[in-house]
Amino acid sequence: MDRKGACYDTPLGMTKDRSEVLQGTLDLIVLKTLDALGPLHGYGIARRIEQLSEDLLRLNEGTVYASLLRLVQKGWIRSEWGASENKRKAKFYSITKAGRKQLAREAESWERISGVIGRVLRLESQD
Amino acid sequence: MLRAVLSRIFGTFHRRQLDDEFAEEVREHLNMLVERFIARGMGPAEAFYAARRQFGGVTQMKEHLRERRALPPFDVLVQDVRHAFRQLRNAQWFTVSAALTLALGVGASTAVFAVLDTVVLRPLPYAEPERLMAFRSIDRRGAPHPTNLSYPTFFDFRARNRVFADMVSYRDERFTLTDSLPAVRVGGEIVSFDLFPLLGVQPVLGRGFLPEEEKAGIHVVVLSHALWKSRFGGDRGILGRRVRIDGMPFTVVGVAPADFRFPLDNPDVQLWAPLSEDATVSEFTPLTEQRGARVLDVIVRLKPGVTADQARAQMDLIAGSLARQYPDENKNIATTWVQPELEQLVGGSRKPLWILLGAVALVLLIACANVANLLLARSIERAREFALRMALGASRPAVVRQVLFEGLTLGLLGTAGGVLLALAALQGVLPLADDDIPIPRILQAGIDGRVLVFSMVMAVLTSVLFSLAPALQIVRVDPSGALKEGAPNIARGHHRFRSALIIGQIALGLVLLVGAELLIASFLYLMQRDPGFRPGHLLTFDIGLSETQYNVAGQLAFSDRLIKRLKAIPGVRTAASGRPLPLRGHQMSVAFDIEEHPAPAPERPYSDMAIVTPGYFDTMGISLLKGRDFGERDDDEAPPVLVVNEAFARKYFPGEEVIGKRIKPGATNGKEGMRMREIVGVVGNAKQEALNTEPDPIYYFPYKQLSWGLGTIVLRTAVPPLRVEPAVRAVLMSLDREAPMYDVRTGEEVSAAAIAGPRFLMVLMGSFAGIALLLTVVGLYSVLSYAVARRRREIGVRIAVGAGRREVLGLVLREAMQLVVVGLTLGLVGAVGAERLLKSMIFGVRRGDVSMVTVACCVMVITSMAAACVPATRAASVDPMQALRSE
Repeated sequence: MDRKGACYDTPLGMTKDRSEVLQGTLDLIVLKTLDALGPLHGYGIARRIEQLSEDLLRLNEGTVYASLLRLVQKGWIRSEWGASENKRKAKFYSITKAGRKQLAREAESWERISGVIGRVLRLESQD
Repeated sequence: MLRAVLSRIFGTFHRRQLDDEFAEEVREHLNMLVERFIARGMGPAEAFYAARRQFGGVTQMKEHLRERRALPPFDVLVQDVRHAFRQLRNAQWFTVSAALTLALGVGASTAVFAVLDTVVLRPLPYAEPERLMAFRSIDRRGAPHPTNLSYPTFFDFRARNRVFADMVSYRDERFTLTDSLPAVRVGGEIVSFDLFPLLGVQPVLGRGFLPEEEKAGIHVVVLSHALWKSRFGGDRGILGRRVRIDGMPFTVVGVAPADFRFPLDNPDVQLWAPLSEDATVSEFTPLTEQRGARVLDVIVRLKPGVTADQARAQMDLIAGSLARQYPDENKNIATTWVQPELEQLVGGSRKPLWILLGAVALVLLIACANVANLLLARSIERAREFALRMALGASRPAVVRQVLFEGLTLGLLGTAGGVLLALAALQGVLPLADDDIPIPRILQAGIDGRVLVFSMVMAVLTSVLFSLAPALQIVRVDPSGALKEGAPNIARGHHRFRSALIIGQIALGLVLLVGAELLIASFLYLMQRDPGFRPGHLLTFDIGLSETQYNVAGQLAFSDRLIKRLKAIPGVRTAASGRPLPLRGHQMSVAFDIEEHPAPAPERPYSDMAIVTPGYFDTMGISLLKGRDFGERDDDEAPPVLVVNEAFARKYFPGEEVIGKRIKPGATNGKEGMRMREIVGVVGNAKQEALNTEPDPIYYFPYKQLSWGLGTIVLRTAVPPLRVEPAVRAVLMSLDREAPMYDVRTGEEVSAAAIAGPRFLMVLMGSFAGIALLLTVVGLYSVLSYAVARRRREIGVRIAVGAGRREVLGLVLREAMQLVVVGLTLGLVGAVGAERLLKSMIFGVRRGDVSMVTVACCVMVITSMAAACVPATRAASVDPMQALRSE
């Protein structure tokens, strides 16, 4: 994960490209997190991502909410109000059926691309 | 995708709720972060800040999500439009001047487009209009040209035709309604019985005509909706009633629909009667039996599947056989002409109207350039605002969108104003302008859906056009650079761009100026040309005398009495009558045989003719050059005589003494056949057509020897001509209460009507050029003013180191001159094109006449320099101390 992330996270010069890649990556991570851990609120997702990759989210935790909105709008996750661990009101997000399908698709293409890139990089280092 | 849109639509309508929810979510998130940091041993305040840091910009995220949640185009659109309005309201002067400029451009384009659309683009208002054709014979004499048909020829075509579903002849006629007083004269149309089925029009009341109603002695009529309403009070019982027309009872068989017009190029027509009117026997041979009297227009409907070419081929065969059968009358018209009726109707108006639309498009472009200029000037002032917005997180597209929206809002404002202007022009000015503009259906032009769509498209296109430049500038803005003092780079780029706009405006302006000038010169030429008569102090009018109540002798007696009484009116010098008057076109063309060079009928020369009373030449101011005028003794008993004009003498008797020569014209009283007539006088050339360059040959008959009804009355007055009109009406009332007086015009109006077409073009083109010039000058002024303001400091330095007033003036004027010269150079190319386009509409101006272009360039230079003088003087009066201190 780290290597793939690094590969895409290298500065590309144009901020736009970089943020798009970041968005896609973040969406995927959020989706996978909800898939693996079940319903979570934004804070919980942020903590999980923090565990996984400190680099990626060092920017802003708030960004998670942009990702959550995108995923809700696409129908890949849904939200409902519930009570947090400290008995406070919080919005919980959970993955939908469509979200699981999407996750499977995305994961597959990630692996294919990263496989190709891995091979390309190995080729270059052999030269 | 659909989900996302639906979710956004939901978001758009639940903005407040979603905003609150998110605020709560964030609050909780921050609380949890704070607790976490406190648990790690931070103080509450420290933890609060750490949590905020870790979360990132709360407000930004709220903004971001709000934008994402709702439909961005809609939500942002509302916001952008609101913002645009706020911006425009805050800059009232800017908004008013920009919107007015646009309104001028859009208004002019909309009005011209409305006219073009109504006149040229709209199909004929009849059923299946594409199969309606105009049908004529082709006269092979001279340059072969389409010509009218005579009734016998028309009947032959109609009987043998296999390609047309219907063939309808029509001709204009005037009728007098005498069923109640005052008697009125209305335009009417004498038509074949199947006019209404041919056009696919059903009368709203009653029916059209029946085939048997073409027979002599039958008087039936279909009324126009307007006449039915105004004269007969919209009485539904009118059907079958008899109304008195020309002193005879006519049975009303139908009322046409309210919007029905036929023919479209004669808006005066108020009733339709079958051709039985022309078959009715009077003292003359009925028109329906005169094979040589070519008076009919013909409209036809192609049978399904038949093309115009196939139709023409078949009609040519018939025309050929008629030519062999009736060589005297038909030999010269052995071929036919079939053209779409729409083309025949508006073909002549198409080019001038397109040219006007082109001209008005240039005006619009110039207006857009001006608004772009204003916007650019404003965006320099606002460069900092934009930079600040971007620095505060507005995306570049958002700022560009804002500018485009301001442009669009401005465009819509301008268009709204423009449509109002166009409406005023079409409804207020056009009807006043002229009844005589020779463009069919022009008075029907109005603002309808199509025109509005056109204006809307104009609004969008123009706003994109003029906000493009400022938008492009913003794309290039570097927020950090622009925030610094002065921002010289943007300003310089702007200035270059604005100069380019000015150059473009000057170039386009020159094209319009040259076009307008050519038309003005041509019009002046037409005005100044001697019409061959004196239009001042002349009154002309017609009288609707019933031919049933007055036989030929009665008409002559009436005419004598009338003229005698008219002469006695104080202020009237002389009175006479004649038909047709000069400048009324080629109304009567009749062949004649010259005694010394007799020829078979088809080879005989033909020319215009007129019938006049004694004293006509004197009254009209047509000079008698040789021989004598007609006298009262030139009546039916006296030897037949003629007077010819100079052009006639020169053409048919070159180098000979024309007095005493004898010719035999085809025009007869119908009683005794053609008579050899002696030419007893030669008069000056009075023009039959204002636009012709060569004088038209014409020969005149004395009215007592060729009694074709009462001619147009002409009065030479000692007072302003319209002042005698009441007295004239009184005289007429005392002679015949049922004879209406109509078409009252002064000689000057007659002259003006004849060149209404060129005047219409000239006035419009002149106004467009005027607007263009004004806009260009305003643009130039604003650019130079800005340049001076920008260079205040530099100018201050120059003055401080000893530059004189004159040098500073020169500095600014030179800059202006550079723009003007470049613009004029570019404009010259367009001007040549304009001249070529207008060639066929220009009279009396030599081709390639450089004086026109020179004058236009001078006008441009002088007005530009005048505009440049104000900023130049301002520059020269810069106080160096202040200028240097100010920055």
